[in-house]
Amino acid sequence: MDLDALLLSRLQFAFTIAFHIIFPSFTIGLASFLAVFETIWVVTRREAFKTLYLFWVKIFAISFGMGVVSGVVLSYQLGTNWSVFSAVASPVIGPLFAFEVLTAFFLEASFLGVMLFGWKKVGPGLHLASTILVAGGTLMSAFWIISANSWMQHPTGFIQLPNGELRAVDWLQVIFSPTFPERFAHMVLAAYLTTALVVGAASAWRLLRRGAEPESRIALRMAIGMFAVVAPLQLVVGDLSGREVGRVQPAKLAAIEAFWETRSEQPFHIVAWPDRAIEGNRFELSIPRIGSLLTAGAIDAEVKGLQAFAPEDRPPVFIVFWAFRVMVGLGLAMIVLGIWGAYLIWRTAGPEHSRWYLRAAVVMGPAGFVAVICGWIVAEVGRQPYVIYGVLRTADAVSPVTAGQVSASLLGFMTVYAVIFGVGVLYILRLIAQGPEEIAEAPPQRGRPPGYALGATPDAAETPVDEADR
Amino acid sequence: MPAIIEPPPEPGAPLPPLWKRLAWFAGLSLAGAFSTAAIAYGLRLLLR
Repeated sequence: MDLDALLLSRLQFAFTIAFHIIFPSFTIGLASFLAVFETIWVVTRREAFKTLYLFWVKIFAISFGMGVVSGVVLSYQLGTNWSVFSAVASPVIGPLFAFEVLTAFFLEASFLGVMLFGWKKVGPGLHLASTILVAGGTLMSAFWIISANSWMQHPTGFIQLPNGELRAVDWLQVIFSPTFPERFAHMVLAAYLTTALVVGAASAWRLLRRGAEPESRIALRMAIGMFAVVAPLQLVVGDLSGREVGRVQPAKLAAIEAFWETRSEQPFHIVAWPDRAIEGNRFELSIPRIGSLLTAGAIDAEVKGLQAFAPEDRPPVFIVFWAFRVMVGLGLAMIVLGIWGAYLIWRTAGPEHSRWYLRAAVVMGPAGFVAVICGWIVAEVGRQPYVIYGVLRTADAVSPVTAGQVSASLLGFMTVYAVIFGVGVLYILRLIAQGPEEIAEAPPQRGRPPGYALGATPDAAETPVDEADR
Repeated sequence: MPAIIEPPPEPGAPLPPLWKRLAWFAGLSLAGAFSTAAIAYGLRLLLR
């Protein structure tokens, strides 16, 4: 494999977008969580919900900022590394990004200020309206980005001019391309699950360390409600999305399932070792005939295999196959976590009294991020060798840049991201470790900069030594 | 030093008059929008 400008540009985009997707997939869900916390506080005036809001809004603000910064890089990369793609597709895809900025991003940016700095100034009603508007903005942002990506997966409503440029002829078909509804629902549910897993893990961590803490108990139970309802729903929506993939991108479906021959009664490969060199699987553990049932709805349905496509039109199989299995495996684990948690709430003293459950919730904390990244690997690598499916090949979309230039910028990105996002994530983890009570109640201390990680804790010199520590 | 992220008013504390709250609401949201626009135009200048 040659590390040419094409492969390096793909690696660079994969690196930056994998970093980026972590933050929006968290903030989309967290904004809605905040709206729920605040609504309950406005209605009931229970202090625990105010405390939870004040705790998670700090983490939201930092994550939102890192999401914006990492997103701007992607826009620049479309120009620097993918200039041919930009030149060909920008008349269609550019307006979708512009709509995102004009509607979603400005909505978020406008009302985030009220959310963070204006509670006393505007009062509870207008503040709640701001939180709901920001939550709506994050969903709107997801709408436009998934719309643009769905169009790249299955482009409709456009024509190609003799010079190769694309022009939209039906904007509704561009925005609502056939795979869009299922993919949008799949992404939003994934974001909600990702956030619920983080909220659940943070709460479980606090309960393991501190014992009874009302805020953590409430947040854990809310997260369990999300796992129990959304995780099974996500399985259904994911299946619908997969059916659409089979209809419009059969080569991707064949890669996901490591089907090589076109046949009915396809087996379902639980695990396999797909190898393009032998056009088959070196090893497979399979359930006979179930593959056709799962992918096409009937055991006797014929499902295309990769051999039905020319070698140059096939996506990489190994990475797509395994990314899909990691995503589905984690999704099933989320369903188990939801059912287990619901059982503990329903039949026992509560999940907060089960240390095994709390440990499992902590371990599952990052699972949503991993599943989201794996899902995007399936979507994007599975679309190869095209950047716009059936219209523009990835190899034809890259900028006329050298491998040295892309290597240098890739190394630069890796270094800067490791520092900036490493510090950001560390800061978020420290806030989470502090917990809602300390953060919500204590303002930053004198002599410490605003936003300092331990700004809300008393100075060591001022902290009275606990009797037990003497 | 006051908290950077503003907490809600204390229970029972009188709220500012409606016109003042609306003015803050509009002012803060416009400040957010203008800040975003300024950064966006600044980034665009880098491409020129």
